[in-house]
Amino acid sequence: MTSTFMGSRAIRAFKEAACLLRAPQRVLPLVSRLASDRRRTTFEYRHLYSYSSTTIPRSDALQSVIAWILAAQRRDGGIAAYYSLLTGYSESYPEVTGYIIPTLYDVARLSQDSCLLQIAERATQWLLALQMPSGAFPAGLHRSHGEPDVIAQPSVFNTGQILQGLVRAHAETGETQILRQAVAAGDWLAAIQQSDGSWSGPAAYQGVAHTYYSMVAWALAQLAAVSNSSRHAVAADKNIVWEIAHFKPSGWIDGINLHEHPAYLHFIAYAIQGVLECGIARRRDDAIEAAAKSAWVLLQKFEIHKRLLGSYEADFKAGRRFSCLTGNAQMSCVWLRLFEVTRDLRYLNAALKMNEMLKQSIALKGGRGIAGGVAGSFPIWGPYQPMRFISWGCKFLADALMLEQRLTREFEESFDEKTSNKIEAAQCT
Amino acid sequence: MHIAMLCSSAYSETGCAVASRLAQLGYIPVGALTLRSWDSGTLLRKLGQWGLRDSVGYAVAKLRPAKTSACKAIRNPHLKAALRHERGAFRNLREVGAAYKFPVVTCANQNSRRAIAQMKQWSPDLAIFTGGNILRRKLLEVPRLGVLNAHLALLPEIRGMSSPEWSLLCGVPLGVTIHFIDSGIDTGPILLRREFAGASDYESLEDLRNRMIAEGVELIAEAVCGLERGTISPVAQNDREKDNQFFVMHERLKVAASRRLEQRRLSLAGACAESVSLGGYGGGNG
Repeated sequence: MTSTFMGSRAIRAFKEAACLLRAPQRVLPLVSRLASDRRRTTFEYRHLYSYSSTTIPRSDALQSVIAWILAAQRRDGGIAAYYSLLTGYSESYPEVTGYIIPTLYDVARLSQDSCLLQIAERATQWLLALQMPSGAFPAGLHRSHGEPDVIAQPSVFNTGQILQGLVRAHAETGETQILRQAVAAGDWLAAIQQSDGSWSGPAAYQGVAHTYYSMVAWALAQLAAVSNSSRHAVAADKNIVWEIAHFKPSGWIDGINLHEHPAYLHFIAYAIQGVLECGIARRRDDAIEAAAKSAWVLLQKFEIHKRLLGSYEADFKAGRRFSCLTGNAQMSCVWLRLFEVTRDLRYLNAALKMNEMLKQSIALKGGRGIAGGVAGSFPIWGPYQPMRFISWGCKFLADALMLEQRLTREFEESFDEKTSNKIEAAQCT
Repeated sequence: MHIAMLCSSAYSETGCAVASRLAQLGYIPVGALTLRSWDSGTLLRKLGQWGLRDSVGYAVAKLRPAKTSACKAIRNPHLKAALRHERGAFRNLREVGAAYKFPVVTCANQNSRRAIAQMKQWSPDLAIFTGGNILRRKLLEVPRLGVLNAHLALLPEIRGMSSPEWSLLCGVPLGVTIHFIDSGIDTGPILLRREFAGASDYESLEDLRNRMIAEGVELIAEAVCGLERGTISPVAQNDREKDNQFFVMHERLKVAASRRLEQRRLSLAGACAESVSLGGYGGGNG
């Protein structure tokens, strides 16, 4: 199995590299990035993320990643999955397009930019057109150029992720059609859920249940809040009970279940984020506590070793030495949300450092697809999405930066208020 | 009592101050084990982090003798008393070692076989840690009584790094704790635990930290005397498993801690003014 997998990876890498012959203009950016990452791994490996010395303002970094996402919107309205240094932009990716929609609305609100609203609406319309009669959304990249022999397969995870976008789009626009289609998607998810609360079978990736599908439960919890349907709420709760049973005392989460792949931080962070957000939405302390435990284990690793590994083995005992940047950004979001819930400043402290480090990992200058892009791995040749800048990395970094902005402002305002009251009281005496 | 020093560098001011203070009290160390100030790994790292110009500037600043008088070259002014000697002030451990005739040995890692062999050769009753590596069990077992550390916060409330800053932000009283090091982070048995009242005129977080370090030096001396006389004994931390560990504080939070310090300074100044005025009123009545 492993040799077949390695073989298929090698063939894919060879095919991608061959694309350079058709696009020689990509050679220079590729060589430049390889050299830059080689330099950083040689000289700064132990202190890859030297957060104290960053000079990139948060607003510049946010603007850059959002500009990357906007440039990645395809003609059909969907967002590309990635920009490859070898092959350029991919086709539109329904899953990511779905959960980028809330980010676009958040940035639009922050920047008062109506252009972003239009982009979010275009993306929503494209997604609505993709929905299958069952209510499900298809798996994989969208083949807009027509591949008639490929029959779209329904996907649980993509449906859940797209559902997040639809719920938010409905909240922003008030369009009943969006809600109708969101409810159809939620009904489909509830209908095919297993009795134990998991999702497996043909619509699940590799046919098996995964704990990172907690993101689907979160989407259902969001839908339940607007559909007022107990069906969606029950489905979310059922999945969360199943999820919590997979959280081990060590903080490790069983059941990531990716054959042929290690447990990349991206998937571990998905599992934690889904359980945490679902716990918050459904007001379940057991879910919040389970997520907090795993998040705390990773926080300690990050603080002690100054980085998180790109993938981990069971019980976080070992892993591969590269950085999964999108997983790092997701963990930053998790820590920030935990700070919001618990007011434990150690979460905020870790997230501030992580964000500084992530800001350093993006190139503010460069060609289209590169500037503002978040690489799958650091170094760029790492095993997670090698040689690619990925749209979901940009989405999570944008989320983390916006959360940081909101929470630090709230913290500083409340802190200043308390402090000035105490100073006034002291001066009165 | 035979005491060995474990320091982060021969240039560690705190290490010098502790060694010098103990020697002033008659406890001349049997030796000091310090980490190398420069090695190829550090050099490469600094080069990558700071660039060539800043790295060279840092190296020059470290190596060039200060033009100012030795006393003025002390970075922590609150350690002056501990560092003072007849010809000025100690600037590094080698000077302290030369004055009190104890060896200063440099190693790459305090847990290395060579370092442990050196410690065994000194056969100390007690070791005092002022910085360096996270100490492993093999080294911790060498001194008969254990390895002492001065922690700049009250234990067990605030463990780990940036402890004065975290104390301020978490609303825990400032304090210094002298404890034995064990396999955990600041979880070892406590010898002395003292709230840091201090004066109300801290200029900054750095000033506060410097004052607390000076307080720590005095408390270590007190703990050594107490241990020898048998007047104090270690008390195990009862909530050893509780997760009170804190980590290096981000600059942004340090600004908030600094504001909290300012507020504390003002409230202490207010309280002082209040007690003076009440005292005057009471005196008049009497």
